[in-house]
Amino acid sequence: MTAGYDIKKMDAKIKEIRKAAEELQELGGDIEAVNKNLVRLLASTKMLELNISDAISVL
Amino acid sequence: MARDGSIYWNPILETMPREKLRELQVKKFRRIFTWAYENSPFYRRLYRDAGMEPGDIKTYEDIKRVPKTDKGVLRDVQNRPPFPYGDMLAVPLQQVTEFRQTSGTTGTPVYQADTWQDWEWWAECWAYILYAQGYRNTDRMFIPFGYNIFVAFWACHYGAEKLGCEVVPGGVLDTEARIMKMLELRCTSFGATPTYVLGMADTARKIGIDPRSIGIQRITCAGEPGASIATTKQRIEDAWGAKVYDHIGATEIGAWSYSCTFQTGLHVNEAFFLVEIEDMDTGEIIDTPGKNGKMVITALDRMAKPCIRFDSKDVIRWADYDCECGRTFRSIDGGVVGRADDITKVKGVLLAPTAIEEVVRSFKELSDEYEVVVSKKGDIDEILLKIEIMPGCENNEPDILKRLKDLLRVKTNLGYKMEIHPYESLPRYALKAKRFKDLRKH
Repeated sequence: MTAGYDIKKMDAKIKEIRKAAEELQELGGDIEAVNKNLVRLLASTKMLELNISDAISVL
Repeated sequence: MARDGSIYWNPILETMPREKLRELQVKKFRRIFTWAYENSPFYRRLYRDAGMEPGDIKTYEDIKRVPKTDKGVLRDVQNRPPFPYGDMLAVPLQQVTEFRQTSGTTGTPVYQADTWQDWEWWAECWAYILYAQGYRNTDRMFIPFGYNIFVAFWACHYGAEKLGCEVVPGGVLDTEARIMKMLELRCTSFGATPTYVLGMADTARKIGIDPRSIGIQRITCAGEPGASIATTKQRIEDAWGAKVYDHIGATEIGAWSYSCTFQTGLHVNEAFFLVEIEDMDTGEIIDTPGKNGKMVITALDRMAKPCIRFDSKDVIRWADYDCECGRTFRSIDGGVVGRADDITKVKGVLLAPTAIEEVVRSFKELSDEYEVVVSKKGDIDEILLKIEIMPGCENNEPDILKRLKDLLRVKTNLGYKMEIHPYESLPRYALKAKRFKDLRKH
């Protein structure tokens, strides 16, 4: 069931989130408050990838 | 056939055509295989010894050639350096944020490492389960669980939070206090082992509260097969006036199966797990419904301590019906219907008869013979251990019994009733002994 969901666009947004998080990681340097919160953000991003991005490759 | 998107946590994966789902599983298997090969010294050694490398996984058939692991293998690896996980980890130890362990009833407990991402994944798996069982952000879910080193309802807690449920941790409260708290807070749902769910109903009645009056709408069971046994499920539903749902998971695997609101069989979350059922005689993979076999399972996205083609010893069978919910995930019929190595669950804890034997035989004051009788007293499992004290040791009975109980508790995580029999009065066996009797009707 993909009707009604633009999963390519969703995937593109997820990629943007990952990219932004990784860029923020670079900018944050050794600020633990940035790095450790990004670990959590990236873990959540991974769950979006498992739910949406992985499906793209077979649909 | 339901096609209402609102009943799915993720309609894209849960209603994916089966051929696409299989394609996704192969793709993800290749990814986790590659990850383990490249990052876990143990897995790299295992696969190199078998002459396999990531490029070899191209089709579903190729997966069947991948070497299996089992709990014995996990223990062996763990017993070797580096402490505490051996060389199985696929991430630096500094990335591990969660420790849990198995109950250790068959020997040394297996340690489980998870990163924060893995922990998110646990919660995600549980989100699929709870959403399918009708949990929503209008639920106030009570968790009557000890919050200890066993994973049990920890991940359920986080999964429920992810759904937006209001989660009430029932931690160290005793059963009466838990019931009073559920009543006070007007909880709508809770999760526990079927045995404990029934025990809670008994306790509620003893303190003058009709469990049905509490207002519980749904109960999620785990740890024992009860919620997949029609009569037990009915007994629980009658006691609480609530719908009862089942879930199957394991520390070293994840939360891989669940019943949905249609209550027909248990779906396998095939987007996150690859379940194979192996014929116990031939080793062939069984794809047809109705035939019991041993489960070999892969957690397709668990990263720190990968679980790839893990021989769980659980006996399951594919269902020969489709669920009306519209999920394309395959179902298993009747949950875990047995254990390949004769381990049984008592009070939600895996119990291996060999573990009891190991303890009994370590006491010189006890004879070679013993008998274990597992029964149900009301709705609660009970273990009776019959033993014989060697002649000349009778004066030490209280001391022996105390030490025996303590050691059994340590080795099996269970409490026992003891019965001392005169020396040489218990049955002796010429051929195979039948020392373990399970009187519960499963």
